[in-house]
Amino acid sequence: MSAVLNTSPAAETVVAGYRLSLRRFARNRLAVAGLVVVVLFLLFCFVGPLLYETDQTHTDLTQVNLAPSGAHLLGTDAVGHDELGRLMYGGKVSLLVGLAAGLLATVIGTLWGAVAGYAGGWVDAVMMRVVDAGIAIPALFILLVVSAVTSPGTLGLVVILGLVSWLVPSRLVRAETLTLKGRDYVLTLRATGGTHGRAVTRHILPNSVSTIVVAATFQIADAILLIAYVSYLGLGVRPPSTDWGGMLSTGLTAAYSGRWWLIVPPGLAIILVVCAFNAIGDGLRDAFDVRGRG
Amino acid sequence: MDTLLYLTRRLLQALAVILIVTVVVFCLLHALPGGPARGILGPQATAEQITAFNHEQGLDRPLPVQYVHYLGTLLQGDLGTSYTLNEAVSRLIEQRLPKTLLLTVLSAFVGLLLAIPLGMWQAVRRNKPADYVITTLSFVAYSTPVYFLGLVLVLVFTQALRWFPSQAPQGETLGQVVADPVALVLPVVTGAASMVAVFSRYMRASTLENLSEDYVRTARAGGSRQRAILWRHVLRNSLTPVVAMLGYYVPVLFGGALVVEQLFNYPGMGLLFWNAAQSSDYPVLLGCVLVISVATVVGTLLADVVQRIVDPRVKAGRA
Amino acid sequence: MSVLEIESLGVSFTTETGDVPAVRGVSLRVRPGETLALVGESGSGKSTVALAAMGLLPGSARVSGRVSLGGTEVVGAPEDVLARLRGRTASMVFQEPATALDPLSRVGAQIAEVIRNHRPVSRADAAAEAVGLLRRVGIPEPEKRASAFPFQLSGGQRQRVVIAMAIANSPDLLIADEPTTALDVTVQAEILDLLRGLAADSGTGVLLVTHNMGVVADFADRVAVMLDGKVVESGPVEEVLLRPAHEYTRRLLGAVPRLAVEELPGIATPGVAETGLAEAGVAKPGAAGPGVAGPGAEGPGVAKPGLAKPGLTDHGVAKPGFSKPGVAETGLAEAGVAKPGAAGPGVAEPGGVEPGAVRPGVAGPGAVGPGVAKPGLAKPGVAKPAGAEPGIAKPGGVEPGVAQSGSARDIEDAPVVELRDVSVRFGRARRTVRALQDVSLTVAPGETVGLVGESGSGKSTAARVALGLVAPASGAVSLFGADLGRVRGRRRRALLSGVGVVLQDPVASLDARMSVGECVAEPLRVHRRGMSAAERRARVAEVLELVRLPAELAGRGPRELSGGQRQRVSLARALVLRPRLLVADEPTSALDVSVQRTVLDVIAELQRDLGFACLFVSHDLAVVQQFAQRVVVLRDGRVEEHGPTMTTLLRPRTEYTRRLVAAVPVPDPVVQRRRRGERRASLTAGGTEATA
Repeated sequence: MSAVLNTSPAAETVVAGYRLSLRRFARNRLAVAGLVVVVLFLLFCFVGPLLYETDQTHTDLTQVNLAPSGAHLLGTDAVGHDELGRLMYGGKVSLLVGLAAGLLATVIGTLWGAVAGYAGGWVDAVMMRVVDAGIAIPALFILLVVSAVTSPGTLGLVVILGLVSWLVPSRLVRAETLTLKGRDYVLTLRATGGTHGRAVTRHILPNSVSTIVVAATFQIADAILLIAYVSYLGLGVRPPSTDWGGMLSTGLTAAYSGRWWLIVPPGLAIILVVCAFNAIGDGLRDAFDVRGRG
Repeated sequence: MDTLLYLTRRLLQALAVILIVTVVVFCLLHALPGGPARGILGPQATAEQITAFNHEQGLDRPLPVQYVHYLGTLLQGDLGTSYTLNEAVSRLIEQRLPKTLLLTVLSAFVGLLLAIPLGMWQAVRRNKPADYVITTLSFVAYSTPVYFLGLVLVLVFTQALRWFPSQAPQGETLGQVVADPVALVLPVVTGAASMVAVFSRYMRASTLENLSEDYVRTARAGGSRQRAILWRHVLRNSLTPVVAMLGYYVPVLFGGALVVEQLFNYPGMGLLFWNAAQSSDYPVLLGCVLVISVATVVGTLLADVVQRIVDPRVKAGRA
Repeated sequence: MSVLEIESLGVSFTTETGDVPAVRGVSLRVRPGETLALVGESGSGKSTVALAAMGLLPGSARVSGRVSLGGTEVVGAPEDVLARLRGRTASMVFQEPATALDPLSRVGAQIAEVIRNHRPVSRADAAAEAVGLLRRVGIPEPEKRASAFPFQLSGGQRQRVVIAMAIANSPDLLIADEPTTALDVTVQAEILDLLRGLAADSGTGVLLVTHNMGVVADFADRVAVMLDGKVVESGPVEEVLLRPAHEYTRRLLGAVPRLAVEELPGIATPGVAETGLAEAGVAKPGAAGPGVAGPGAEGPGVAKPGLAKPGLTDHGVAKPGFSKPGVAETGLAEAGVAKPGAAGPGVAEPGGVEPGAVRPGVAGPGAVGPGVAKPGLAKPGVAKPAGAEPGIAKPGGVEPGVAQSGSARDIEDAPVVELRDVSVRFGRARRTVRALQDVSLTVAPGETVGLVGESGSGKSTAARVALGLVAPASGAVSLFGADLGRVRGRRRRALLSGVGVVLQDPVASLDARMSVGECVAEPLRVHRRGMSAAERRARVAEVLELVRLPAELAGRGPRELSGGQRQRVSLARALVLRPRLLVADEPTSALDVSVQRTVLDVIAELQRDLGFACLFVSHDLAVVQQFAQRVVVLRDGRVEEHGPTMTTLLRPRTEYTRRLVAAVPVPDPVVQRRRRGERRASLTAGGTEATA
């Protein structure tokens, strides 16, 4: 009889969460611009070399330090590489290493944070002190020490970057796990005999996805930025391979002699891509309505 | 009494963190090719020399025993001896640390001074052109590698405009450094840039959150004007979480100092560290890492304590 | 002239999913010294009207029509003009005292700010005035409290501070938006008294926005009922509450759970009045008419001992929802058949029957005697062990009999859940909070036990202990006869599969990332691993139908459901394994009354059909009264009082329970006025009122 009274038209027409999030994201102009920039750069670095072929392995001492011209749109560097082609070539490394390191950091951080948050008690306390300790040692210092000892390959670089930057995502995921494990549906599951494994895999991790995705986006941005430092610190990929950070740090001295084309393009590329990932992360965070870094 | 209890707990936590840091540093020490022996004897040492040295120094003993020994020397304030500068590492750090602290504290201060009003302003003008412009600028500032930003500033302000010198003050003591404030401008600005970017974002988010709180509506219902509500209530409430974030930003500040000091040739710990890295001066490297980490832990601790003072709720044990 | 005049007000909100109209063509007026109650369910637009009156609507709102405050137009007025009106011409008290105050400013300063917003008073004078206001709103030691931060005050005190801010400049109009909804009943009564007194003293007009008909009956002079953004009925409070004209108002009032009180006039208990004992009759006031007739009719049959099941039958038939109490007693009556005197009148109204039951004498002799004959039939769920020994009569006799006679207890079947001297502490060292202290309670098979108390009484903690979610610091918990503290692993999980859980929050109870079907099927996936997908689907469809939801809902997401539907989905999930115990922690307190009624009806009906026991946690005495056979009153983590619902809630033994019951406003202005008078009298007589 009183079911008739149950008139809440608003509740019946709620748009599904994901679609709403997507719509919110689409309305965030900065975020959409970020997405466009990332796609353009991916095309530039991975499809670009197919259309604009240059030799990035051999030096050409006849074509050194040329200013931008019709033949070399962005000029050439001190060993005669075409700067535009080099930008594509270096971008490949920067983007790939950035994506891989960012994702690696997110995976490590997610596992660490989820275990700490769900276990609670002294396990949590110990694990989070380890995170505190990790955060207390500035990443650049660690990287510089490592660079003094060894010069890793690309894969090694990914691992090192992942290992120094998983701390922030671990804190975020832990906080999220703490909230989620107190949710009524998790309590209900546990009160009726559900296992911890089920609580984590079926409820806590799936519901942390938006937090993790947002964290991963920011993590990628940070990783790309960090690679730029890595070369500066002398830990970058070895020539003739390069990345944007490497181009930038080798070009530093050239800047004083007015060869702006050696630093401005890689500098702008780094700034644009990192900005873009940050804008995407910002937009995703607002769209999913999750907490994350400012 | 509660404050005492809290401080004790927090101190114990900080000690635990520092202990873990020493483990990490100890591991780094032993991860070096050839181990500490190579570090101390230098890259030219022969295998026999190293074995002899290891035995003599007890470095062939089990690692846990060595770790305890290492902790013991640390407790005596002994961080080893630099083999390029031939001086006690603790002594070197003692000279350089105050200058780095000066640089980071100034950068943080300038950064916050700009970030807080900017963030609030953005929150109030949410989704207006001003908000978009500042947001974009702060993204750019955050995304620019410090050394690139520094380079651009140097090119513009020292080469083109000639407003500032391209070198930071070179004084031996703090007093001499402060005596040359003009030369400090560029290093401080470079160090503060990303801080402004990050904290204006925090402040914007925090202010937005507070603007939608019930107490704002209560104040409006009592006839308070927007401006008064903003300054009297929202500012303080928005600041507390930002202060808490400050603790976690300390390591980033030190990281920034590392680059800034190298860039402007500022004789602080960052430069010491940098030069040590170029010459593989391991005792200096590890000593610096340890000291910087401890400074970070202390910074975080301070931020927590400050937040406790600012926010009476935290004191009462409610977040 | 009216202090507030609203003329064909329309408000719509621009949202991400399009424009949503919230208020359509509302006209109201509040005269000086008068209280107008604006009532309605959630989404009716009542709060929007209140905010519109203050010009406090968010930027996404579009407003049409006219609103005038003391002669000044509000709609479209610049912020400057509004600021001058707010806090002086009209003030507002909000729902959530926990968040209504700036957490970082001292309360005295916040009151002084309102004063200085409108009057050129020096800082010192404003501070002094703030202390005076705190005294006026009944805050003890106002000089000291003025320098307190909000978090240092209780919820009730914070609301008093908000009220002090509201009356600081003696406004002509006070708008109170659900001012007591977040508060416990005893505090609610105090706040309503305070508001009433302040309004009467100064002739301030009051616009009271509320969903609580009891509060309306207690406070309002006139009522306007809102539905879907429109006022459907308005008039003097007696008219609207006692003789509602509009269909919706009638339904709404019909759905309100009413606390039966001893001297309740009118409702279906004439016979009761005479005997003075007939709690049972009172028990189901709503069901009164037909419900009472049922058991009454069967009653006589009971006289013949062999027929015990009749009790059961009418149980089924009588009233779907809340028959339990009545039934229990009927069952008992058979046992007590010995006294035919009881049976006789019993025919007329069941009320006559149970008095016998209530008397201790019944349980003893009655149970042993003739009860033997029919025991097995008494209740389905209980039946099996009952059949074993003849003495079993008490299954029906359930609480009253059992409680009073030790002998009967021995042959009682094992309780489904039992807490023995359970204590729970949270926090460590000096921060320790004792959430529970030496709490004991049992739930017998098939019975419903109500766990009531104010916020912080530990009732939810007790439920969580029973569920094994919180481990007690001392004491023991047994679930289906096994010690919950000892069993581990697979056995523990098997044990817990006999428990169903429904928690308070309809939003947090279901994982939004799963479909309704997956949510309901989850216990099957956990405990019936071998089940095929098809079987699972069939079972899900079956339980969805049980809770009166269409099977098609299985494919939808929880987000697409209303609050009431979600709680029924939670119930379906709880029942999918055919539990022996249902633990319901405030299952309906987040719902509107009409929806609450539906959910409670469904639970009651299913309990009758399926025979599970129920531990029912609620702050709402009226709901518990209708729902539970026994009630346990918790206060500050201790059991204050327990016993059969009818006895405990009608004639409480302790002062605390008495105060608790007296503070519940009933939705009848005439009765409520009398109750208020009595409560006041007893308070002044008792002389102690904790203003913690």
